[in-house]
Amino acid sequence: MKLLEYEAKKVFSTYKIPIPASTLITSVGEAADACKKIGGSVVLKAQVDVGGRGKAGGILMATADDAETVANDLFTRKIKDLTVKEVLVEERLSIQKEYFVSIAIDRSSRSPVILFAEAGGVEIEATAGERPDAVRSARVSPLFDEVPGFILRYLTRGCEKEIIPVISALYRAFREKDALLAEINPLVITPSGVIAADAKLIIDDNALARQGITENRDLTEREAEAEAHGFSYVELNGSIGVIGNGAGLTMATLDLIAHHKGAAANFLDVGGGAGSERVMYAVRLVASVPDVKVIIVNLLGGITRCDEVARGIIAAGVSQQVIVRLAGTNEAEGRALLEGAGYRMLDTMEAAVAAAVLEASS
Amino acid sequence: MIYCDKQTRILVQGATGNQGAFHIDLMNRYAQSVSGAGVVAGVTPGKGGREVHGVPVYDTVREAVAIHDTEASVIFVPAGAAADSIMEAADAGIKTIVTITEHIPVHDVMRAIAYARSCGSAVIGPNCPGLLSPGECRLGIMPSPLFMRGPVGVISRSGTLTYEVVDELTRAGIGQSTVVGIGGDPVIGETFVDCIRRFSEDSYTKAVILIGEVGGALEIDGAEAALSLDLPIVAYIAGVSAPKEKRMGHAGAIIEGGEGDAASKIERLKAMGVTVATRPSELPAYISTLL
Repeated sequence: MKLLEYEAKKVFSTYKIPIPASTLITSVGEAADACKKIGGSVVLKAQVDVGGRGKAGGILMATADDAETVANDLFTRKIKDLTVKEVLVEERLSIQKEYFVSIAIDRSSRSPVILFAEAGGVEIEATAGERPDAVRSARVSPLFDEVPGFILRYLTRGCEKEIIPVISALYRAFREKDALLAEINPLVITPSGVIAADAKLIIDDNALARQGITENRDLTEREAEAEAHGFSYVELNGSIGVIGNGAGLTMATLDLIAHHKGAAANFLDVGGGAGSERVMYAVRLVASVPDVKVIIVNLLGGITRCDEVARGIIAAGVSQQVIVRLAGTNEAEGRALLEGAGYRMLDTMEAAVAAAVLEASS
Repeated sequence: MIYCDKQTRILVQGATGNQGAFHIDLMNRYAQSVSGAGVVAGVTPGKGGREVHGVPVYDTVREAVAIHDTEASVIFVPAGAAADSIMEAADAGIKTIVTITEHIPVHDVMRAIAYARSCGSAVIGPNCPGLLSPGECRLGIMPSPLFMRGPVGVISRSGTLTYEVVDELTRAGIGQSTVVGIGGDPVIGETFVDCIRRFSEDSYTKAVILIGEVGGALEIDGAEAALSLDLPIVAYIAGVSAPKEKRMGHAGAIIEGGEGDAASKIERLKAMGVTVATRPSELPAYISTLL
C-alpha cells in the first residue's frame, strides 16, 4: 500500500530524517493560520497518490497574504481525476543542491538495492544520460541489519557527509516498515542542513497486519470486498466478467479475450481449492458489476473440484449468461450438473473465450 | 529430471495441518505408483511423536534429518512462520526447499533465501506449486494425472496456467522431464536462470518452455542463460492485457514504474531470437519443432 507524502514524512521523521516544517490542513479556512505558523512563504502540496503531481498542478506556492486563495484553488482542483481532501502546507526551502535516494527490491539479486544520484527532482534521467558516474547503486545483503560503511562511502563519495546518516536511517525505515520502496526525491541541501523535501513509502501488502494497517487504501470498494472473500480482484472496464483459478490462468484468459477483440470487465482469481460457496460469491460479485453482460468461468481443477464449482455457479443464479470451461478433478460430474441446469460448458478455454466475446458483442 | 527423482527422500514441514496432511498422502500415493522414496518424515513444532498417513512427525527438522536423512523439504507452514521454516531446513542441511506458502512478507523471504543460499540450499518458491518429474517424484502439489514423462522441461511463475500447458503437451503426446513452478512472488529462490542451468545439464531434457508473466525481468535473464548454454526454449508471457500498477493475483505480477509489462518482455525475447507463443495452445506445436 502506498502512503501519502505526509504519512511517509511522518515515518521518516521518527527515524530522525529531517523534514520541512509543515501542517496538514483539510479545509481552506485553516490555510492562513498554517501559513503564519510556519512563517514566510510556503508550498501547498495536494496529498493525492499520483505520479507527476507537480506538473498536474498539485503543488502551488503561497504567502500569508494569498494562502487562502491558493488553498481554495487547490481544494477545488482535480489532480488527474482525484479530488483533493488533504493539503500539506510546508515551509519553502532555500535549495542549494538536490540529491536522489531510493531503496527498492531488486528481484534478480533478491535483495534491497539503494540508488543514489547527484541530482534530484525531475532531472535524474537527464543526469544519468550525461553523467553516468553521478548515478550509483549498491545491493545490500538481506542478512545485514544496517547498510555497511563501505556501501555508504561508495554511494556518497564526494558529497556532503550529512547525507550518510539519512541513507542509513532510510534503510532502517525500509526494513522495519516492511517497505517495497522508500524514496526521497529530492533530498536537498539548504543553509540549515539536509532535508527530505519529498517522501515516498510503499508498504508490502503481505505485511500490513504486522505493521498495524487494517485497511488497504489502494483497493476500490469492490476490490476490498473481493479481498475479504479471499479473492484477488482487479477492476477493468469491459463487459465480460472473468473468473479463473490461479493468477496465471486468469491473466491468460484476459489475454485471450483481448486477442479475440473482446474487453474484460475484471480479473477475479478465486484461488486454490475453492468450494461451491466461494464460487457462488465470486459469480455474484462479478455479476454485480453494472457493465457485465456475460461471465466466463475458466477453472482447471487440481485441488479445486469441478462439481463444487458447478454447484457454486448454479447456486449464484445470476441473470447474465455464464459460459463455463472446467477441466480436471470431477470434470464429468461438474459437466452433468451444469448441463442439467442449462449452462453452456465448453471444452477448451479458447472456445469458451470465443463464445463469451460473441455473446458480449451481440 | 532436475531437483528430484525416485530416490529423493522428502520431509514435509507443516505436516499436521490440512494442506500438509492432504499432500503427504498424495505425494506418497504418487511415490508408491512409481516405486519412489516419497515422504519419509514430517515436522510440526509441538506435535512430535504423532503420525500423519503413516509418516512420523517430529518437533524439529534436525531430529527428522538425523533419523531419516531427508534431502528435500516441502513447506506448508503459515505465512508468519514460513520464512523461519525455510531457514530451519537450510540449517539442517536440506538441499532443496520447496515453499508452497503464499503471502510471506517479502523482507522475510529475502532474508530466508539469502540464508538458505549461504548454506548451499536451493529454495523453490515461495507461493509456488512445487515441482513434478513424471514417473519419478511429486515434490509439491501439482495434479499428477495431467503429466506424462518425456523430454520437455517447463519452468513457470504460475500454477494452474502450468497445468493448462502440461495438459496441452500431454494431449499432444509430448512428455515432460520436470515441471517447476518457481512461484508468483517478487522475490523467489530458484529463478528461470537457476532452472535453465540445471536443465542444460540434464540428459533427459531436450527443450524447455518458459511461462512468464508481468512484473520484473527474470524471464529475460532466463532466456539469456538458455541462449548462452545452447538450450532450445520457447516462451509464453501472460498479462498482455494487464493494467499498470495493479497486482494481478500474484504479489510479483505487477507493472511498476513502467517496467515489467508483457509486451516489452515479448519484444525483448523475440529480439533475442526466442519463439514466443501468443496463446498457450500454440506451445505444443512450437516446442515439437525443437525436439
